[in-house]
Amino acid sequence: MTVAELEVLGSGGPEAPPAVDESGKKITGRSPTRIAFDRLRKDKVAVICSTAVLILVILGILAPLISNALGLKYADPPSTPAVEYLRFTYPKPEYGPPFGPFTWDHPLGLAPGTAHDNLARLLYGIRTSFAVALLATVLSTVIGVSIGLVAGFARGALDKLISFVIDVFLSFPFLLGALAIAPIITSRFATQPEILAKAQFFSLIGVLVIFGWMGLARLIRGQVLSLREREFVQAAQVIGVPTRRILFKELLPNLVAPIVVTISLSLPGFVAAEAGLAFLGVGLTGIPSLGQSILRGTQYYDQYPLYLWAPVVTVAILVMALNLLGDSVRDAFDPSTRQ
Amino acid sequence: MRLNKPIVAVSTVALLALAACGGSGGGGGTPGGQPTDTFKEGGGSGQGTDPTRNEGPAPEIEGAQEGGTVKVISVAGLNSMDPSEAYYTNTIAILQQLVTRSLTQFVYDEESGDVILIPDLATDLGTPNEDFTEWEFTIRPGVRYENGQEVTADDVAFGIKRSFDRASFPEGAAYSNDYFVDGDTYEGPYKNKGDDYKGIVVDGDTLTLKMRKPFPDMAYWGSFPAIGPIPEGDASDPAKYSQHPWATGPYMFDEYTPEKSLTLVKNPEWDAATDPGRHQYVDGYEMQFDVATPKIDQIMLQDEGEAKNTVSFDSVSAPNYLQFKQDASDRLLFGSEPCTFMWYPDYRQIKDINVRKALAYAYPYKDAYAASGAIEGVTRIPGTNIMPPGIPGREEFNPLPDHEKGATDAAKAKELLTEADALGFEIKFLYATDDTASVDTQKVISAALEEAGFKATPVASTIADSSTTRADPSADINVRSGGWCSDWPSGGSWFPPVFETTDLDKEGLGANYAVFSEPAVDKRIAEIQELDLKEQPAAWNELDQTIQADYFPVFVTSYGGAALMRGSNVNNAFIDPTFGMPTMKDMWLTQ
Repeated sequence: MTVAELEVLGSGGPEAPPAVDESGKKITGRSPTRIAFDRLRKDKVAVICSTAVLILVILGILAPLISNALGLKYADPPSTPAVEYLRFTYPKPEYGPPFGPFTWDHPLGLAPGTAHDNLARLLYGIRTSFAVALLATVLSTVIGVSIGLVAGFARGALDKLISFVIDVFLSFPFLLGALAIAPIITSRFATQPEILAKAQFFSLIGVLVIFGWMGLARLIRGQVLSLREREFVQAAQVIGVPTRRILFKELLPNLVAPIVVTISLSLPGFVAAEAGLAFLGVGLTGIPSLGQSILRGTQYYDQYPLYLWAPVVTVAILVMALNLLGDSVRDAFDPSTRQ
Repeated sequence: MRLNKPIVAVSTVALLALAACGGSGGGGGTPGGQPTDTFKEGGGSGQGTDPTRNEGPAPEIEGAQEGGTVKVISVAGLNSMDPSEAYYTNTIAILQQLVTRSLTQFVYDEESGDVILIPDLATDLGTPNEDFTEWEFTIRPGVRYENGQEVTADDVAFGIKRSFDRASFPEGAAYSNDYFVDGDTYEGPYKNKGDDYKGIVVDGDTLTLKMRKPFPDMAYWGSFPAIGPIPEGDASDPAKYSQHPWATGPYMFDEYTPEKSLTLVKNPEWDAATDPGRHQYVDGYEMQFDVATPKIDQIMLQDEGEAKNTVSFDSVSAPNYLQFKQDASDRLLFGSEPCTFMWYPDYRQIKDINVRKALAYAYPYKDAYAASGAIEGVTRIPGTNIMPPGIPGREEFNPLPDHEKGATDAAKAKELLTEADALGFEIKFLYATDDTASVDTQKVISAALEEAGFKATPVASTIADSSTTRADPSADINVRSGGWCSDWPSGGSWFPPVFETTDLDKEGLGANYAVFSEPAVDKRIAEIQELDLKEQPAAWNELDQTIQADYFPVFVTSYGGAALMRGSNVNNAFIDPTFGMPTMKDMWLTQ
């Protein structure tokens, strides 16, 4: 992209970069993305939050390695009979809380009833949550941006049609859709357990995407509507640049800010939605997830609070860190905020 | 008869919706990891009868105080409360113990921890003819409905006729249809209007019931609410009668909100002098249903205020069992449910007996109890006989060599599979994806099957669909998980429904989840039913062994048990082993 074009966007902001910095070295100009990153780096909240998210991401990615290294039995189910570890549903005192002392063998204790290691399940749950949230975000962003671009740039009937479709999707209740799809998937793949787990995973992402792209599409459409009338777009049209090129080379770079902001705010939304759906029993059931861990934990809260608190705190940290980070990203990209 | 648990709770035991349930089981049990201690061998429930206890009032209970209102809380709502249709453990318990009187009744005997069958409306336990095809009952005088109207033998006859009507009362027990003269064609007083049904003859206060095949257990069937008086006419319109059945017992309906609550108050017309079994110590009952399990546990555990006067219809849940046992073990009521939970390999699809035996070795009994949220030794007790402890004639045996009850032996299973040349045999069984306990149980079972050399294919279903799928003979599964509870302590309430060939097109599976069909067994069942009553118990037990030794069509995963909770003011609450419900006839409150 050219500097000229970027200056179109950047020039309105009061924080336009100084022409000369303290050392006297001349700076030609910085992209808004660059500016935002610089501002993010100075934002303590952003730094803390991104560190937290990064740690959780690493924990999630390395879940199998960590579990193996610590000798935790994610073991689904454990290789020795689960009842060897249990006494009346709860883990025996020698295997940690609630009735025994802390033990390094099982830092977060064992799950009642199944004797799964809670830490291992938590790590795998984080992994699942991230995978779902990330995939759903990427897909809904791609869909939302494409549709928004087309709707904003096309005039007349196509724009009206797309806007109508967006309205239709917006008016359809998300929870109802999720609740209705789960049993259909279950019965469709009833006899293929391996496929069922995958089908649940992708149908969950599908549901999240289907009900998650409209906001961004609308936002992008609005932006494109105003950008379309700008001189650089008109100039491009006049000299005969193909529409595809105008959309992706001229318009899209100017939409980086709203897109990044939306992504950073929808990630925590999807994490929370995944947990919520799992809690309702319509999300993932075959593989560990944070929502499922919470659902199980609620039954044992009185006797075994740790069993519930571990996944709850993890989800809370994850969602809060992503949210605050999203806020910071939005502030960093917003030319009208001053720091 | 049917268990009262909602499908959610039921599915936690890997989809056990019990088809029918009721009359037996062991005596009071003890908690702890010693499963075999929980049942009293040979001290079976309801085996005892005492026809001489036919004079009211029931003996006073020492120290019993009058007054107060007993609260009842339970997860499960009530299904139909129409006496002709009540066939769930909770509806039968409420009606039979408190509201409606029948020909006979059960009373609890504290000494033996057992219930005894004694006369109720009838003056004795009935007089059969030589081959049990005709029974004579005399209805006692002086019994009145809650509105003062006298109960006559005609009312009882009408009540019995109503019990034939499967269209109006689809959920009711079908014993009248099965045994009475023309029971298979007679459709009750509403469908066959004006038809003079010839199976019941009323002569003054004497009822003569005629059977088309020997029915030695008529006195037990007589204890069901269905075999009691119901007023003829508009009052007993099947559409409305379940809202307020006319009380003949010590308590009557006051307010009833289906699925939510039921309030019972004293029935002023009940005369203790006519009732040899019931008391009226408390002023009434307030029953609250649809209460969440954790809430029930908390209310009962805290035992404050009204909770002191409360009993639960549900067992303490596994998460709270340990604390309850530590803090308030005296307020736990241990006992048995007369049920056997089994795995039923499909007899049409799993043809090799060695494969079926391998399944029994491979099944992860104790892990499955734990994963399903049951409490080993308390609500789930390993066993091998199909007839649960308490059934007369039952003798402990194990059809599998070197197999301990409730033990898993993957190596032995693999050996059998190899012998049968069936390594990698695919086992397809149902589970509900929307129930964590069911998912956990499924994983435990799958892993155990794989370890034993099977190929485990769990078939996903949902809580809502699973029981329908299981009852479908053509469903794509080859093992069904389920159970059966006896209606009265006799092998006669076990083998005919569970192992007799069923007409799949006409009746579906019924309770024969294994789709078991062997002419030799059918023949033997028919023979035993014709045997002298004294020889039957031993014959049933022998059949239990023969079936398992020769065909091994099913294997027992556990027997059922109960650990109900009571408030500290509630006295004389025991487990009625015929229902796994609290005994309410003798209950009184400390004031």
